[in-house]
Amino acid sequence: MQSRRFTLVMAAVAFILFSFVSAVALAQEAPKSIKIGASISLTGRFAAGGIDVADGYKLAVKHINDKGGILVKQFNKKIPVELVIYDDESDPSKTVTRLEKLNAEKVVAYLGEFASDMNIAGLGIAEKNKIPWVGVTIAVENVFNQGFKYIFGPNMFSFMEVAAFLDALDKIPENQRPKKIANFELQVDWGKECTKYLHEYAKKKGYTIALERKFAPDTKDFSSMIMAAKSAGCDAVFAVPTPPQSMTLIKQMKELDYAPKATCFVRGPDLSNFWQVMGKDANYIMTSGEWTPDMPYPGNKQLVADYRKQYPNKLMGMPVGNGYSAFQVLADAISRAEKLDRESIRQALTTTSIVTVKGKVTFDKRGVGNVPHALAQWQNGKLVVIVSPDYKTAPVLVATPWSKRK
Amino acid sequence: MVERKKGLVLAAAVIVALALVPFFTVREYVFSILCMLFLYVTLSQSWNILGGYTGQINVGQAAFFGMGALVARLLWVAGVPFYLSILAGGLGSVILAIIIGLPALKLRGHYFAIGTLAVATIAQITVGNILPGISFLPAQQMATYSLIPRYYVFLIIMAAALAVIYFTVNSRVGLGMEATRDDEEAAQMVGVNTFKYKMIAFLISSFFAGLAGGGFAYFNASYYWYLPFTLMWCFEPILIVFIGGVGSFLGPVIGSVCYVLLKELFALTLGEANLLIFGIVFILTILFFPKGVIGLPAKLRQLFYRRGNVVGR
Repeated sequence: MQSRRFTLVMAAVAFILFSFVSAVALAQEAPKSIKIGASISLTGRFAAGGIDVADGYKLAVKHINDKGGILVKQFNKKIPVELVIYDDESDPSKTVTRLEKLNAEKVVAYLGEFASDMNIAGLGIAEKNKIPWVGVTIAVENVFNQGFKYIFGPNMFSFMEVAAFLDALDKIPENQRPKKIANFELQVDWGKECTKYLHEYAKKKGYTIALERKFAPDTKDFSSMIMAAKSAGCDAVFAVPTPPQSMTLIKQMKELDYAPKATCFVRGPDLSNFWQVMGKDANYIMTSGEWTPDMPYPGNKQLVADYRKQYPNKLMGMPVGNGYSAFQVLADAISRAEKLDRESIRQALTTTSIVTVKGKVTFDKRGVGNVPHALAQWQNGKLVVIVSPDYKTAPVLVATPWSKRK
Repeated sequence: MVERKKGLVLAAAVIVALALVPFFTVREYVFSILCMLFLYVTLSQSWNILGGYTGQINVGQAAFFGMGALVARLLWVAGVPFYLSILAGGLGSVILAIIIGLPALKLRGHYFAIGTLAVATIAQITVGNILPGISFLPAQQMATYSLIPRYYVFLIIMAAALAVIYFTVNSRVGLGMEATRDDEEAAQMVGVNTFKYKMIAFLISSFFAGLAGGGFAYFNASYYWYLPFTLMWCFEPILIVFIGGVGSFLGPVIGSVCYVLLKELFALTLGEANLLIFGIVFILTILFFPKGVIGLPAKLRQLFYRRGNVVGR
């Protein structure tokens, strides 16, 4: 009898001990913060765009932390975000060392940066270190065809830019609609991709690529290309020049009196200071409409209001909205991840489906973002969205000859 | 002679100590910083033998660095073992140097500098046009990527560059180089074949710049093909040599340590102001220590004695 009682007591003690040990093991202490890292060009030649991206990230962190942080399932509590940004001085070699430094600091994810050179150097490191990397402005689809698992691009890609441009042409009344397109191909992988899709989509939609000319990223004289397009009777132009090149192109088109009905330069006119630099010559120019302050998506008004409050003297460029949106995507993935570790966050990113300040974002199997493909046009000093799959936009204005513009 | 032997033993001890680093740490950040440090020591040392010891200001080092990177990367990704690829990169740069050196070394002073800058610019544009895309490591190599072999590659290249340049500048060839630098016409008058010494310096310089480029190609997981040809690789070695001390063997080493580690420290702690602060430090160095950091002890000694004299009066 006694031995039976003894056995029962021992069993109870063992059960209590087991329960206690299990509870202690399970109740891991939640970290004080969720550490996210980014190497960004805060100085050097890409600083203007880099600072905009960083501003977008910082505002997203502020908004999230104002609400207590991100809810992490593993600990069933909200944990504030700690964003660590290091300056890469617009030098890709520095990007590599800064990202290694962030790896040593145990960040759970990397955020991308403004310029391609740095992004390309960075995403290799992210893949090597097996840390999820959420980009901001990486428009080259080829990057995502390498079999990488940790790279995500929640932004418009070359095929979307081309599709949006042709959608804009479709919106022009038929009697005024351009038919012959001149393609000025920038000699980088992005330019080549755009050419490929322009041929494919234009053929489907019944447009003709009447002229094709290539130019290098440091080309400054476009007169021969412009004259060739004019001679070929092209009434639409598409290109992805660098921002300074887009300004030079427009000036030289004016000097040579070439005013096609539709001109789309994906880079340059999307920057906030474009109207200040170009004045009325910017009218009718189309560009990427990935994010604008007027977009009706949830949270956008608050982002614009808070940015203007925080930086009353700064113009709000597209990278601010893109940066904010990228952070929303990452924060959403962290909140859906089973655990606060890199692999769980990567897994969660693959099933992303979130409406951000620039619309709904999902990813395909490669990590290529599926975002609303939008196009904007400068109309009397304002960059207005003319193509969007989500909402009614302003009409597309057909450019008038230079001599008839006031 | 005894001092020189002591110096060599000390240098060998430092290299051995650096070779042991992977046994004491696994932090990839440490390896990536040290890899960059070794790369800059090699590149600036390679510039110094031509610019500092021979007096030929080469502003086109990026062409040789880039050529080494291009050849090495193409071969390595095609399946050639990395050590052979890097060596081929160095030889590719030597071939480029022979093609360019024969006409360019007839130029003197600013004309040589402008000529080499033109070569670097042409190389950058040409590569940008022919290879506008990105060089990715194949997925299989990416899966097995480790910084430790890269660390040893950079260490070996740096040690080789230091050894070859040290023994060259301390030989009769080195005397010929210095004679060419100090007064080319006078040297020619006494029978020194200045073209020969300039060419030797140019070939050694481009070989090690090419090896450094090969190391770059082996180190980076993904980059635009034109990146190692950008003009940044022309100016950074010059900057480093001027910080450390032109025409001295230890100058590029000290300059690289200051440039890589100081800049890293500033970038991590000072945020956007880091370049401004570094720029001020650089200007102050050039203004007050024109012989570079290596001239600092002599300068301090000079100041000390001057002050001592004043007190003595």
